[in-house]
This record gives sequence, structure tokens and C-alpha cells, in this order.
Amino acid sequence: MLTIHDLHVSIQGRPILQGIDLAVKPGEVHAIMGPNGSGKSTLAQVLAGRSGYEVTRGEVTYLDHDLLALAPEERARAGLFLAFQYPLEIPGVANVQLLRTALNAVRRARGQEEMDAFDFLEYVKDKLALLEMDDALLYRAVNEGFSGGEKKRNEILQMAVLEPRLAILDETDSGLDIDALRVVAHGVNVLKGADQAIVLVTHYQRLLDHVVPDYVHVLSEGRIVCSGDRDLALELEEKGYAWLNDEAAHTEPHP
Amino acid sequence: MTTDTLYTEALARIASPGWLADGRRLALDRYLASGLPDTRDEDWRYTSLEQLERQALRIPDAGADTMLAIEDYPGALMAFADNRLIWQDTRLPTRMLGTLEDAEAPVRYGLGTLSEDSALAQLNLALWQEGVCLHAPAVYRPRLPVFLRFAAVQAEVMLHPRVLVVMEPHSDAILVEHYLADGDAPHWQNAVAEIFLKPGAHLTHIRLIEGGEGATHTHLVSVHQGRDSQYRGLTLSLGGRLVRQDIQVTLADEGAEARLDGLFVADGRRHVDHHLRIDHAASHTTSRTTWRGMASGRGRGIFDGRVLVRHGTLQADARQDSRNLLLSPHAEIDAKPQLEIYSDDVKCGHGATVGRLDEDALFYLASRGIDPATARDMLLLGFADQALGLADDAGLRDWLQPRLAAALPVLPKAANTREVRP
Ligand SMILES: Nc1ncnc2c1ncn2[C@@H]1O[C@H](COP(=O)(O)OP(=O)(O)O)[C@@H](O)[C@H]1O
Ligand SMILES: [Mg+2]
Repeated sequence: MLTIHDLHVSIQGRPILQGIDLAVKPGEVHAIMGPNGSGKSTLAQVLAGRSGYEVTRGEVTYLDHDLLALAPEERARAGLFLAFQYPLEIPGVANVQLLRTALNAVRRARGQEEMDAFDFLEYVKDKLALLEMDDALLYRAVNEGFSGGEKKRNEILQMAVLEPRLAILDETDSGLDIDALRVVAHGVNVLKGADQAIVLVTHYQRLLDHVVPDYVHVLSEGRIVCSGDRDLALELEEKGYAWLNDEAAHTEPHP
Repeated sequence: MTTDTLYTEALARIASPGWLADGRRLALDRYLASGLPDTRDEDWRYTSLEQLERQALRIPDAGADTMLAIEDYPGALMAFADNRLIWQDTRLPTRMLGTLEDAEAPVRYGLGTLSEDSALAQLNLALWQEGVCLHAPAVYRPRLPVFLRFAAVQAEVMLHPRVLVVMEPHSDAILVEHYLADGDAPHWQNAVAEIFLKPGAHLTHIRLIEGGEGATHTHLVSVHQGRDSQYRGLTLSLGGRLVRQDIQVTLADEGAEARLDGLFVADGRRHVDHHLRIDHAASHTTSRTTWRGMASGRGRGIFDGRVLVRHGTLQADARQDSRNLLLSPHAEIDAKPQLEIYSDDVKCGHGATVGRLDEDALFYLASRGIDPATARDMLLLGFADQALGLADDAGLRDWLQPRLAAALPVLPKAANTREVRP
């Protein structure tokens, strides 16, 4: 579904990602962990198509598309979704308006009919219930005045509405209390299926108790220095990231 | 022909009862003594009315066909076409809402007393026709909004709409003025509204300026506020080639509060200039100004807001904010909120921002599958929408919002993408 080969990315001439290789198949859950500043968000943003990043080497294939050649909205319509680490506030634009406009853009691309306001409301109410969110949030401006936790939940609401094939969740767990984490994780688990894949970016293990990863990768200084199964996450939790630098040289990353 | 001759001849063609005729002549003399404001005048530094000298504008021919289809308004409507009353809702008695000549208030309060120092208002006072008087009796609180519709129909006319509002103690009303034009032919609407708010009176006053490529729109609103009165004004300058708005508010007695909201769209080659003067002439008075502007193409927008807190007043509370979006490299916005404070016991603040469309927000929307043009429209409408708070309170959002949406600038394709990141 997603194949990243030797991806190098710079920001303003400064190399940030320095040769990422990663393969994600349908049905899989991958966790990407690593210390702050290691390049996790950069990877997520590059995959979603944000401008300002220079891809200096490598390629990314997503469902037979050359992903890097697609505009961000085309990627989203092809089923790619990024839950932002720092969701944007958009004053004056109601949440419901963003959700419906986005859903209809994606539906048109899938050759489905657009949903009118009435049908959409029915549709979105189920999604709100899934995430234990109040209907009133629909009519508030996007993320404006939302608490940190509400913003993260709102990201997952968007994901639930758009039903992506590949969801990249960038530190969706940070800023969530235990209850909210459980609700969000439940939402993610419900949306996950044999056809969908999920990439969880996190630097804590606790989300992985709820959304169990098939693979765990450790990103450090722009490289995946180590990959393993969920035990790796537990090990990281115990030892921290410092030991990586010593062992990185000995561990062969695998997809 | 000079404009002086033009205006003098225009006055000769206006039939008026004797008690008005003298006032008109006096006003014309006052106007002639100063002439049109020019850019040497500090208050007119940004805006030239030169084109009025080149256009041979006349007061409209009586009897010409000035019927223009009138859309539905969600309230009691008085509609004017080329300064002639063509429709009046009968739900409000004419002694409350009627033409100026028939009203009693002008005699009692005097026309022009709130607008003496403006040359354009003097010209209006000389040349107004029909005119409107809204006179709300004490404690009168109709829920029905009053709509005044001023349409310019014939080409090359000048119209001088005049509105007098007297809100007696503890009355409360919603007044909407809607200015528009039939087509893009040159014309000039030079409007004046004088508003008296007696103690405890409330007025919500919405002005929607539409109008085509040929429209020059000059407008003075002057508000005099008594004790504990509240004025809530929303100015939407969405159309016209050249728009100049002067808003003067005098908070003359304790407890008076003014809220002034505004939004302008300066797209194409439009020039939109707003001058606000808020005079805290008494203690315990409050003003809140929030102005939003967007400029694109070669448009030019000006916000010049001055708050004056007089010597000897206590606890005036004033805040001015000007928020602007600059959408093209050739557009220009000048935002000048100013405080002039002659008292030590005040709470005042002001701020101005001029920014671009938020790239991060555009990317956020794109990452949800929304194409760039739609995303830009959403952000523009979102920005504009925040100016509609007073319309919400008045139940008029649904009436205004489509007009707002239609007036938003159409941005060139691919502008604002992929340039300033990260
Ligand atoms: N927009 C940006 N401009 C300049 N440097 C950036 C930008 N975004 C990220 N970086 C730098 O790239 C590196 C990786 O950041 P990031 O991808 O956010 O790390 P992580 O998500 O793993 O904490 C950091 O050194 C950060 O300072
Ligand atoms: Mg990050």
C-alpha cells in the first residue's frame, strides 16, 4: 500500500530525513517512535504533501501512485489521511462545514454521490457517538477554543468521517488523558480493517497498549535505526532512547 | 460646467416647503464656501473625489421610469429608487417611519445638527429628496427590523439620501440601510444618517453597501448617545468603485456604549475608506470597534479609527481592532487605529494586523481533500463571517450571508500556494 524507498528530505537546505525505507501493507499497524526532533512529523507532513520540504532523494509509492507527484488534496482523495500533531484552528469556518466539504470532495473522487446536509448529519452523528463527542462541536469553528484533547479527538472525527485507506496519526495520543486515550484508541480500532493501514507516530508506549502495532520502528536523526515488533516499544519504554545510539550500528533495519 | 454651478442648479430644481428651503440654501452656501474635500485635508489624504468633478452628475429626472424589481426583505421595508419612495410597508405607522418632509422630528431636533462640520453632509442637506425619519416612541420595541433600500437606477445621477433616527428613552429597534445600483453606470450616492439615542435607547444599525463599478458612495453616520444608551453598528462595504464612510459617535452621557463592527472588501480597483471618530465625552462610557478588511487585485482599503477620551472623564473603556487580509501584491491596506487620551483614568487598547491567507490552514484543508480554490473561499468566508455577530443577534445572518459570499474576491488560480512555507 505504501512503500517508501531511500527518502531524503531537507528543510531550507538542512537534511532532516536521511534515507527512510518503509513498507506498509493493507491491514497493518506500524508504530514510528523516536525522540523529539528525530523527524517523525517531517515524515508525516511530507507524506501528506506539505510544501516547503525538499525531497532530495528517494521515492514514495502509494497504491500505484507516485505519491510525491500528487497535490495534497489528491492524496487525501486517494485515501491518505494525516491526523496533525498540532491541529489548526480555523476561525469562522464551522466544523460541520469542513467535514461535509471534505467528505464530498473525497466522495466525488471515489465516484460516489455527494451527501446533502440532511444525510450528512445522520452520517456524522454516528461518528460523533463513536468518539463520544458532543453534537455542539459541529457548529463551533474548527478547533477554535478546543482543548488540546478536543482537538485530537476532532482529528479522529475527521478520520472517521473520511474513512481513509491509510491513516497517519502524528502524536494523537499526546495531550489526551487516560479516558480520552481509550476513546480515541477505540475509534481508531473500529476504523481499522483488512483494507486499511495505520501508521502511529508516538513517543510513548501507552497508545500501543490500545492500538496494537504489528511493527515498531525507531526513528533517530532522520533514519530508521531499528525495527521490531511491539516488544521493541516496551523495551524503549523501559530503557529510553539513549541506548539506541550505541546499538544502531549493529541493528539492520527491516521493512 | 463646474460642480458648484451644477449643485446650485440642482437646488433650484428641488421643490421644498418654505421651512426647508431656507435651510437648504444655507447648507449650499456652507458647502460652496469649502467645496469638495481634497487630499490636502489630512482626513482625506487617501481618498480623492476628483472624479466627481469630471462626471456631470444630476439629480434624477422626475417621472422617469425608476421601477426596479424589489427582492423580499425580512422586515418592514421603505424602498427608494433614484430618491423616490416606491414602496412602503404599512405595518409601521407613518408617524414612526415616514418621509422626512412629513415628519415632526426634524422640526424638533433640527436637521443637520449632528453633521455640521462635513462639507459633503452640507451638500446632502441642500439637495436631499424624500429622506427618511425613523422615530421610535419611548419604550417602543418592535421586533420587526426596518429596512431602507436606496437604489440608483438612472445613469449619471447623484442621490443624497438622508436619514434621521430619533430613539426616545428605552426604545429599541433594528434599522438596516441597503444601498445598491442597477448596473455599472457612473453615479454618486452621498448619504447622511443622523441618529439620536435618548437615555436607555438601543439601536442596531446595519448598513450594507453594494453597487456596481460606477458607484461612488460617500456616507456620514453621526450618532449622539444619551445616558445608558447602546448603539450597535455594522457596516458592510461590499460594492462600489469608491466608498468613503465617516462614522462619528459621541458618547455624551454616562453609561453610553457603542459597538462598531465593520467589514470591507476592496477587490478589483475598488477604493474603500473608513474614518471613525468616537468621542468619549462623558465618564463611564464604553466603545468597541472591530473592523475587518480584505483587499485583492489592485484594491485599496483604509481604516482610520480615532478614539478621543476627553479631559476630566473617568473610566472610559475603549478598544479598537483592525484585522486585515492582503490577498494580492498590488493591493494595499492602511490600518490606523488611534487613541487620543486626555484622562488618566481610562482603559484603552488598540491593535491592527495585516496578514495573508494562512498557508498552514490552506494545507490543513487540502489534506482533507479540499481543492485550493474552495479552501481559499472557505477561509475568506470564515474571515468575513466573524464580522456578522451583530447580524446574528438581529436574526439577519441568513439575509446577509449570501450577499457576503457573493462579494468575496475571486482570487487568481494558484495564488498563495507553495510560496512561503515552511
Ligand atoms: N518548518 C520547519 N522549519 C525548520 N526546521 C524544521 C521545521 N520542521 C521541522 N524542523 C526541524 O526538523 C527536525 C525534525 O523535526 P520534526 O519532524 O518535527 O521531529 P519530531 O516530530 O520527530 O519531533 C527538527 O530538528 C526540527 O527543528
Ligand atoms: Mg512531531
